[in-house]
Amino acid sequence: MNSNEVDILLVDDSQDDVDLTMHALRTENLANRVFIARDGEEALDFLFCTGPYSTRSFEHPPKLVLLDLKMPKVDGVQVLKQIKGDPRTRSIPVVLMTSSGEEKDMVTGYKLGVNSFVQKPVDFDQFRAMVKMLGLYWLVTNRPPVGSGPANLEGRER
Amino acid sequence: MTSAGTELAIPAAAAPRPQLRALLVEDNPLDAALVVRALIKDGFDVTADVVQDEAAFTKALRHGCPEVVLADYNLPTWKGMETLDVIRREGLDIPMILVSGALGDVNAVECIKQGATDYVLKDSLARLPAVIRRALQEKLERSLRHQTERDLARKVDELARSNADLEQFAYVASHDLQEPLRMVTAYTQLLAERYRGKLDENADKFIGYASEGAQRMQVLIRDLLLFSRMGRTEARERVECDAVIKEVLQTLRSAIEQSGAVVTHSALPAVWANPTQMAQVFQNLIGNAIKFRQEEPPVISVQAEEAGQQWLFSVRDNGIGIAPEYAQQIFVVFQRLHARTEYPGNGVGLAICKKIIERNGGKIWMESQAGAGSTFKFTLPKSDTEESTRIRS
Amino acid sequence: MKTAADLLVIDDNPADVSLVREALAGSKHRSRITSVGDGVEALAFLYHRDKYVDAIRPDLVMLDLNLPKRDGLAVLAAMKASPDLRRIPVVIFSTSQLSKDITRSYELGANCYVSKPGNLTEFFSTVLSIEEFWLSFACLPAQGE
Repeated sequence: MNSNEVDILLVDDSQDDVDLTMHALRTENLANRVFIARDGEEALDFLFCTGPYSTRSFEHPPKLVLLDLKMPKVDGVQVLKQIKGDPRTRSIPVVLMTSSGEEKDMVTGYKLGVNSFVQKPVDFDQFRAMVKMLGLYWLVTNRPPVGSGPANLEGRER
Repeated sequence: MTSAGTELAIPAAAAPRPQLRALLVEDNPLDAALVVRALIKDGFDVTADVVQDEAAFTKALRHGCPEVVLADYNLPTWKGMETLDVIRREGLDIPMILVSGALGDVNAVECIKQGATDYVLKDSLARLPAVIRRALQEKLERSLRHQTERDLARKVDELARSNADLEQFAYVASHDLQEPLRMVTAYTQLLAERYRGKLDENADKFIGYASEGAQRMQVLIRDLLLFSRMGRTEARERVECDAVIKEVLQTLRSAIEQSGAVVTHSALPAVWANPTQMAQVFQNLIGNAIKFRQEEPPVISVQAEEAGQQWLFSVRDNGIGIAPEYAQQIFVVFQRLHARTEYPGNGVGLAICKKIIERNGGKIWMESQAGAGSTFKFTLPKSDTEESTRIRS
Repeated sequence: MKTAADLLVIDDNPADVSLVREALAGSKHRSRITSVGDGVEALAFLYHRDKYVDAIRPDLVMLDLNLPKRDGLAVLAAMKASPDLRRIPVVIFSTSQLSKDITRSYELGANCYVSKPGNLTEFFSTVLSIEEFWLSFACLPAQGE
């Protein structure tokens, strides 16, 4: 997969959650353009085109960043702060995922300009339903900022 | 002066003598007189001004409107060749003929190179009238040519502006029409859904017609917008047609599955074009091939081959075909060959293809027989950057 | 999740507001919908000024861009600049598909950007999906004071 053709950047250190997420996305045919980062540092390298991702370009950001809150090294809030604090990346839609649903995390998140906050359901079916909704809402209903991902054709059949 | 009622007897006129307004730059009055006499002798009706310096020359140029300047090469306070500078400065185009003593051939040629129209020796004044006639003739031809060029430039300008206006009109009209139309479509549809069977018997029918009409109009305007927008995005780049075809087949996935179509393609080259537009072309052609099918599943093949300095693409199908007499018509916007109930669509797809291909310097046409499938062909010029990527099928 | 959410629709076209109401009429959420028709009214409502002193505080805002008086982007900018209002999710819901509108909206902090579909069925399903995502899936901050 071309790192400039990524639709979703999934940032999560939990292998179980990643597997579940990918499974749900696959059933919606959205799994092809997902890039997985295991921690905040890797996510930042990816988005800011540094380190192993220096060949990436700011012109092709992902359409959505699914960001887990609690991660080692650099946690979700830190990543969010960097993304929303830099004009080159500020427009990228970021959805913060938390297991806890703690109020103060939410307040911080919304203050930093997170696009939305979701709580990871414990139940498998609900988790899958949520991932499906996230994919559909942020990749289909939502219009991402221009310049993200490969050009889409206007599907006109004539 | 005549008393009222009587006419002065006019002798039978000889052929009218051509008038000539000449401006002489000459300090020797005798030489000046000789020049004028040579012109009169040859039949000109001469009005001549004689000057010796730049100031007087400039003034005479401005007020006398001379048709020709006859200048001596060497004057006490001035040089005959400098008349050219003044003429140019005044923005005029008047032939300047040097009338001079011996200059030497080299010098004479040099003067003509610098802008003198011709050069006549003072002891060969008999040549002068012919020289003047030729100079005036050439000037006339020059003026006519300039005028034609200016006319042409103006017409091209007007045409370009008119085209731009038309495109903008189509764009604005379609764009602004969409809003109120959206309201009509939405609410007629709501009416149809909410009140079906609840009003009198005609209501459902009436609402149905209104709703269909509105929806059709929505599609028409959207297509018109699309059509008028072609040509606004000119950004061209190297486009890999292989990759474009893959994406197009993905977009047409459900139509392909539903019809059981089999679409194959040879290795396709890269072209210099706009990628979205190229996708549009392939999508329209392949989509049509799927739509206008016969009983059996569509079999569609996309090929490309070299044809001199161009690539020749073809999209062949086994569909219903098109009678040759309609070959041109199908590319006209909104032209359809079938009733709307037989095959859906507005008839704008091929017009869009044609616009795109022609704007990219190619041609598009169709080869077909009714009932025997169709082959749509189009050419695109090869760009220099493609020379290194010649693809063989 | 929430009992009855409050939706604020900022749109100067009453026909579109009515369509949004129709779309949400059948939804399980039973959201209360308030609408204002121009940018100045919108900000007065949100800041509880003048006649809007007792106005509710919306859980979700659907914002059109082409508004009279103060346009949508100005309202968005004001909302996201206010520490109080910035946590309210703003969904830009507009017919505009111009890249400059989309880009600018994100730059000013819009939570998402949804184009108004031209087709009735899609319009309804889009509005329902907006409501469904934000009210069933997203965690909205509690109504602070």
